[in-house]
Amino acid sequence: MRIVVPGEMIADSPKEISYAYIDGDKTYSSVVGLFSEQDLRLIPLQGPYVPITEDVVVGVVEDVKFAGYNMDITSPYKGFLLAKECGREQFDLGDIVLAKVRDVDEVKNVNLIEPRKLLNGEIIEISSVKVPRVIGKKSSMLEMIKAATKCEIHVGKNGRIWIKGQNSATATRAILKIEKEAHTDGLTDRIGAFLKEQTGDINGQ
Amino acid sequence: MANDSEKPQLLVNGKRIDGRALDEIREIKIQAGILNKADGSAYLEWGNNKILAAVYGPKECIPKHDMNPYKAVIHCRYAMAPFSSLEEHGRSGPNRRSTELSKVIREVFENVIFTELYPKTAIDIFIEILQGDGGTRCAGITAASVALANAGIPMKDLVAAVAVGKIGGEVGIDFSKDEDNFGESDLPLAIAPRNNEILLLQMDGLLTKEELNKAFGMAFEAVKRINKIQSEAVRAVYKNTE
Repeated sequence: MRIVVPGEMIADSPKEISYAYIDGDKTYSSVVGLFSEQDLRLIPLQGPYVPITEDVVVGVVEDVKFAGYNMDITSPYKGFLLAKECGREQFDLGDIVLAKVRDVDEVKNVNLIEPRKLLNGEIIEISSVKVPRVIGKKSSMLEMIKAATKCEIHVGKNGRIWIKGQNSATATRAILKIEKEAHTDGLTDRIGAFLKEQTGDINGQ
Repeated sequence: MANDSEKPQLLVNGKRIDGRALDEIREIKIQAGILNKADGSAYLEWGNNKILAAVYGPKECIPKHDMNPYKAVIHCRYAMAPFSSLEEHGRSGPNRRSTELSKVIREVFENVIFTELYPKTAIDIFIEILQGDGGTRCAGITAASVALANAGIPMKDLVAAVAVGKIGGEVGIDFSKDEDNFGESDLPLAIAPRNNEILLLQMDGLLTKEELNKAFGMAFEAVKRINKIQSEAVRAVYKNTE
């Protein structure tokens, strides 16, 4: 794994790699990211969130319309939640809603489904490219944080994270630590140690 | 133009006022990611130039009538702080000069950013000159390019810019304010170092064909060095955590 910058050559043959582009017979990176030579994968270290189908996002109701709700999903594009997807439930301005992206059309209209109102929690926002690290392989990292802090946590693909529970401060610190060190190795172990140190006395261990 | 009677001797034994050789650029320091609220930012010191660049977006395009359904639009603001230089620059808000520079800098970045990836959005680039000493448009482009990379906006290359020209009858590079004011010719260039694509070319004064070729050679050489400093700055953000 090495850090690459825009315009840096990452392969001397034309290869289809996301976040990279082909010019002539070579492939170049278009973002700042971590590039792994073995599996030819480029992971951006920073960047905007663009919704894709099946993403679970945490949105904030921004406008109430006749047909549904405009939702802010920390993306350049607004999400739209059809009122008929909500059943009997009604939302208000400022409500925090967990929802799934049904589809994104060619003019980037984002349609949301399966809404669920999140109540009485706290919200933190991180960069969306770091969300996979917060979740971890087979959601190992997230399960670890949940188990150690006994918090209810919902992670949106858009980088918005909703936390509820007594030890929410510890969970928040752990997640911000993951965001800061997302590009380093051995993160799960370090976060494990961090959580143990923080929650040890609370849980009486 | 400055008064000729005050004209200093620009070249003494092949060295310039500040002791540089003709093909030598001033010292450049760049720090990326220094503003918390911006999506990307950079602070650059290039000789006595001090520049802050910030990037926001891609985000919802405001005003709506600027929106393009096929690609992102780029808004660029180049501005000199009222305290940035000894002259009138920046003293009374937007003026003809800053409007022109905002436009040409915007066009530089329209050609390197993959705008078609983010239709209906806007990308805002702010370049604030805190202290100016000649060559601020080039320094501004260099800083903004680092800020864009820091924001994670996909683009073809880290653009580097430098001015070349003629002082005291000789072709040189990277002029300070005095050299610029009393020199014969000034040619700011923005270049994509990967393939030496020229993204900005403006000229004051005159150069012969041979001088122009020599100047281009110097610029292509210099942008390679500037590009190295830029990529180090972009990487440094991720090196000193932990």
